Amino acid sequence: MADTHKEWLKELETASKAKQKSFIDSISSKLGRPRPMEKPAHPFRGAPDFWRSFEWSEEERIERFSANFKAAGGHVARLASYDDAKQFIVDKAAEMSAQYIIRQGQPELEAMNLEAAMPDAHISVWNTNQEENWRARAAEADFGVVVADYAVAYTGSITVLSAANKGRSVSLLPTVLFAIIPLKRLKTRLGEALINFDQAGRENLPAGIHFISGPSRSADIENDLTIGVHGPGVVYALFVG
Amino acid sequence: MKVSLFITCLSDAIYPRVGEAMVRLLARYGVQLEFPTVQTCCGQPAFNSGYWDDARKTATTLIEAFEDSDFVIAPSGSCIGMIHHYPKLFEKDAVMLERANRLQAKSYEFTQFLVKVLGITDVGATFPHKVTYHPSCHGSRLLGVKEEPIALMNKVKGLELVPLPFAEDCCGFGGTFAVKMADISGAMVTEKVDHVLETEAEVLVGLDMACMMNIAGNLRYRDKPVRVMHLAELLYEGVK
Amino acid sequence: MSTASTKPSTVKERAGLALNDEFLRKAVKFTTERLRSGKKTASEEHGNWDDWRERGRQIRLHTIAHLDYYLNLFADNARANGVNVHFAETDVEAVKIALAIAERKQAKSIVKSKSMVTEELHLNHALEKIGVEAIETDLGEYIIQLAGETPSHIIIPAIHKNRYQIADLLSAEAGETLAPDTQILAGFVRKKLREKFLEADIGMTGCNFAIAETGSMVLFENEGNARMVSTVPKTQITLMGMERIIPSFEDLEVMATLLPRSATGQKLTVYMSGITGPRRTEDADGPDEMHIIIVDNGRSNQLGDPEFQELLNCIRCGACLNACPVYRHIGGHAYGGTYSGPIGAVLTPALKKDESQWDDIANASSLCGACYEACPVKIPLHDMLVYLRRRKVESGNGNLAEKVGMKGFSTLLGGSKRMRGVIRLGQLGQKLVERDGGIRIKLGPLKGWNTYRVTPSLPKQSFRDRWSTIQRETQAEGAVLDPALKARMEAVVAERKQGGGSKHGGHA
Repeated sequence: MADTHKEWLKELETASKAKQKSFIDSISSKLGRPRPMEKPAHPFRGAPDFWRSFEWSEEERIERFSANFKAAGGHVARLASYDDAKQFIVDKAAEMSAQYIIRQGQPELEAMNLEAAMPDAHISVWNTNQEENWRARAAEADFGVVVADYAVAYTGSITVLSAANKGRSVSLLPTVLFAIIPLKRLKTRLGEALINFDQAGRENLPAGIHFISGPSRSADIENDLTIGVHGPGVVYALFVG
Repeated sequence: MKVSLFITCLSDAIYPRVGEAMVRLLARYGVQLEFPTVQTCCGQPAFNSGYWDDARKTATTLIEAFEDSDFVIAPSGSCIGMIHHYPKLFEKDAVMLERANRLQAKSYEFTQFLVKVLGITDVGATFPHKVTYHPSCHGSRLLGVKEEPIALMNKVKGLELVPLPFAEDCCGFGGTFAVKMADISGAMVTEKVDHVLETEAEVLVGLDMACMMNIAGNLRYRDKPVRVMHLAELLYEGVK
Repeated sequence: MSTASTKPSTVKERAGLALNDEFLRKAVKFTTERLRSGKKTASEEHGNWDDWRERGRQIRLHTIAHLDYYLNLFADNARANGVNVHFAETDVEAVKIALAIAERKQAKSIVKSKSMVTEELHLNHALEKIGVEAIETDLGEYIIQLAGETPSHIIIPAIHKNRYQIADLLSAEAGETLAPDTQILAGFVRKKLREKFLEADIGMTGCNFAIAETGSMVLFENEGNARMVSTVPKTQITLMGMERIIPSFEDLEVMATLLPRSATGQKLTVYMSGITGPRRTEDADGPDEMHIIIVDNGRSNQLGDPEFQELLNCIRCGACLNACPVYRHIGGHAYGGTYSGPIGAVLTPALKKDESQWDDIANASSLCGACYEACPVKIPLHDMLVYLRRRKVESGNGNLAEKVGMKGFSTLLGGSKRMRGVIRLGQLGQKLVERDGGIRIKLGPLKGWNTYRVTPSLPKQSFRDRWSTIQRETQAEGAVLDPALKARMEAVVAERKQGGGSKHGGHA
């Protein structure tokens, strides 16, 4: 069954590659010149020059990130260490009667050892075995805990990348999201985070790169803002360091 | 120095006092406008509706009328804006294209000429009334006429300028649009007049008689006594 | 086919209906005002907005001018990432491919995030015909799907519905009465769709931007449903307009700066996701199989056409809708196509090569230029509307009465003597209908105009009539030209001769 499907996809691919050629040739012909075989010069690549030198001090970054994130309905806390972050989460769990937690398998979270601090809670660690239905674990979780890969002050955004031990679902399916942000990873401009992906190159990119700028929201009903539509309705950005 | 008046159809037939105010106001500075009588229409109605052959006919007459002028001034941003479309209109005719470019380079809306070319913002006018200003679309968006009328009004003694809510919204004229899509146009002008009435201004002033005629028409229909004037008229009345 | 006698077939007729719908007009006005004031605040706060617009424009112009290179690069890179890439020249082809994948996967349900391209293709309808449930998951799209309607705004699809109508629709779906309260209604949808996300066989998305250099696709959203449909189901199908490409992630910064601010006034949408291929073998979520269907459907018609190629710059932000006074009064459905507002007025005809198929949509504009001013990538939509009108006329599909009228216009106003004659006729003729300096009759060409206005009467003397008097009197005053003024004028003329300063207008 799987093989015939693979075969079918292969057939489609062959047809598609032929179609690609005619599609692209048609574009060249309409544009009135032969297809460029080399990368065309792109003098206006990326942000305008004056923007590239724009940078805030660390304090300003924290302040602006916080203002932006809160304006979008998120919460921000500044903590000295992972231990303090752990305590913050433990306290919130008590406050919200959270029973089910899912966290990434990132080394910082391993070291943080939430499990020891909350022995009665159900804490899952993403993708620690093959048999578990991880999407379901994430869906039932009250809390999702991640460590951000980047953060951007200008837009008030947290960036998370997918990996074997970093599920996309962990920052998406639970009701409440805790994103721990090591201060060193907080940049001023969006471009400072994005450039990494160009530099890494196609083969080194993860399947999912996600920028999160607050709790899920919609204003589709009579322009009335509602929070927590599909993604987490409560988001905490915890600065550590 | 040949400074010519492009009167525009509306001012010629319906609002001659606007053209007259312009001529008299500039004459006070020794700028004597001359009026080439062969001029007719800028061709906007035909151009906008897609009848470019017809538009080219009237455009040619206009280009010919102002061939020798150094400056061409009109009391309308949309008519001057139409002249800015002449290069496109004649893009396939090298000879006419060159003439069209030359005309475009020397054409100005009235306040543009007064403020940017002559450098005059204070004409010495007094006009002690509450006034609100509607910036016509073509003048403000396409010609970039934004500060000039404000600069002029700021120097008028006694004039209280109140901002018009959503001033930049189109009044709904759009030339043939007002006839072809009469109900949409009617809704737009009704909304514009609602905003004018909100200001409680005595006078509505503008730079384009098409808009003014449109808005004045609705004001009159609703029996509202707001006076509608072109800025040239206001300034001239203020110095007479 | 339907008995079409009562169904309005022109924009003008539909607009007439919309203008009589008080609620619709209030709702559209409220929403567009809020969105455009949000844009104004956000763009002013950010600063240098025009520089950013120009940058965005240049990036898009460059990409479209080299679309063969970038689209090819994107397709190759996406394939290398493990994506199944497909090309569809027409809507029929695109639907065929999507259906084939759904059938192959024996899919029973598909969860969809917002995609205007799928609306263009009427894809949901086609899927339903083969027994596949296609569920819209964007809150606004879900609501109108339940109502059996199409979106009336690119960004806020259900702007024409009030909360009572929405409560009724959702209550029917819930099988119980839900209060017309946003929190409650949204809460129901969250719960209901959560089940659907987890059960669905296929997740379907649109594509805001495709990154050519890495083969990635980028999604902008606020609810989280696009992330859901691209993370939870085992198969993903993405529909992408062939022009939705930028070269790199660096370029994405510019788009991410322009799009959210232009659409809603946000600095960034709550979620911005870059998806590079299906899940890696070691990942525990993300689709196993991913398809991208690249759709032409008339877009390539604009290539090589200097009047319309820029149309492909569009990033579908909806700013033009929010700025357009016509849209504000008639709403999206009156436009009669997938896309509404100024972009719709141009795109709908432009995607169809055959002018005889064009309706009156390009006439629903006063050419005020607000759309051009609002567009973050500076598309001259107001100029394009005139080009469309011209093409319709020149292809022989114009209005005969109007054609005759324009001939008359150019003849009568082609010469000053004739124009004088026309004015004289008007001055005489109006005596029959003029009263107190105004004309109020609602007949013939004045009918529409005088429904809302009083037409001014022609004064006894036109400007031409007065000219000799005015000239004589002003010359008699004998004011002397100040040398400073003379110098200024001469300087301008001199600069002009050297080729400078000709563009003293604001229009590029």
